[in-house]
Amino acid sequence: MRQTHSEIATVTLYKSLQGKPIRVLEKIADSLNQLNEKVDVLIELQKHSRGGIVNESLTDVLDVMTLLSLPDHLRKTAVTLCNLGQATAEEIAEQTRRARAVESGYLNQLVLMGYLKKERKGRKAYFYVEKEGPGEK
Amino acid sequence: MIGKIIAFHSYKGGTGKTLLSINLAATYARKGKNVCLLDLDFRAPSLQARFKTEGNGYWLNDYLNGVCEIQKVLTDLSHLSSGKGKFLVGLANPSTEAIREMSAKDRKWEMRALGRLLSLRNSLLNDMHLDYLILDTSPGLQYSSINAIVAADVALVVTSLDASDIKGTQRMTSELYDLFEKKTGIVVNKVLPDILSSTAGKNFSEHFHNTHNLPVLYTIPCFCDVLRAGGTCIFAEEKPEHAFAKTVEQIARKIEKL
Repeated sequence: MRQTHSEIATVTLYKSLQGKPIRVLEKIADSLNQLNEKVDVLIELQKHSRGGIVNESLTDVLDVMTLLSLPDHLRKTAVTLCNLGQATAEEIAEQTRRARAVESGYLNQLVLMGYLKKERKGRKAYFYVEKEGPGEK
Repeated sequence: MIGKIIAFHSYKGGTGKTLLSINLAATYARKGKNVCLLDLDFRAPSLQARFKTEGNGYWLNDYLNGVCEIQKVLTDLSHLSSGKGKFLVGLANPSTEAIREMSAKDRKWEMRALGRLLSLRNSLLNDMHLDYLILDTSPGLQYSSINAIVAADVALVVTSLDASDIKGTQRMTSELYDLFEKKTGIVVNKVLPDILSSTAGKNFSEHFHNTHNLPVLYTIPCFCDVLRAGGTCIFAEEKPEHAFAKTVEQIARKIEKL
């Protein structure tokens, strides 16, 4: 089903770009990346929602005891993000040497668990634990 | 040279973390390295008393509370060192009220404290060009200690030969340092000379490693002079020819190979 939609989108895109193959491929890669992230989120939403009801305000604290309790694969992503402060899935993947799509999935999972926050700036999605304000006690 | 963060930790108290962290810092400073030593033992602060300094009005507690930047906390004790390196210390507030306040912090505060500890790599190692940041922590599984472990490049775990200490060190190695993928070195401290001179003791580190499956970095014998000094002497600076100071020098060399 998804493939069919992608094919239709590709043909439309190809026509609109008047047959410039490299630009077409770049656009397709971009679209696939975006689609990938959306599918990751949908999968996680499905996993965590009960009866289709999702608590969007779910937040939890990512302290060291929580880091210890996470499964190894998520801990690695979370600790790397703690070190970087704010990062894209690509930046995390550079550090962990795992695939960007894998890190994107893990980061979105941590967002759904309430440990991370996600913010879009243009086409990029940035993940962070918390934006620290001055003098917080 | 890229700076390194070393955390001293132990399962039980009184194993010699503070003594070793002070002497390791002094060893680096004497060799001309720029070093900073932070007292992260907020339950039983000791660096203020050891260095007989009043600090400069700000404590590490203030930095972790987000009240001030780290530079305001650091006291320059380079005059205590014969080397050309900087010797900075950051003190924990030893007042009972501060200890009580620190022990009542919630998870959110601890999460922010971790963020502030992690940012020291930038502010101290990258911006101030320090070569070593040494963290002296509380024993056991305390928030402040685990935060320090996460922030560190190397975890040095000091243990005595006490059976419960060894058991706890084993548990922390598999359930803490390994989980955070930390380079870990075990320092067995206060080993009695007759144990070291026995047949098994001829290669005590290897024997200990084989028996307890712990990565032993160094075995330190029990020095009467060190006990006698009661923490008032920085051997690495004041008595650099003493066997204990030489031992710390060897530990410094082994850390580089971890």
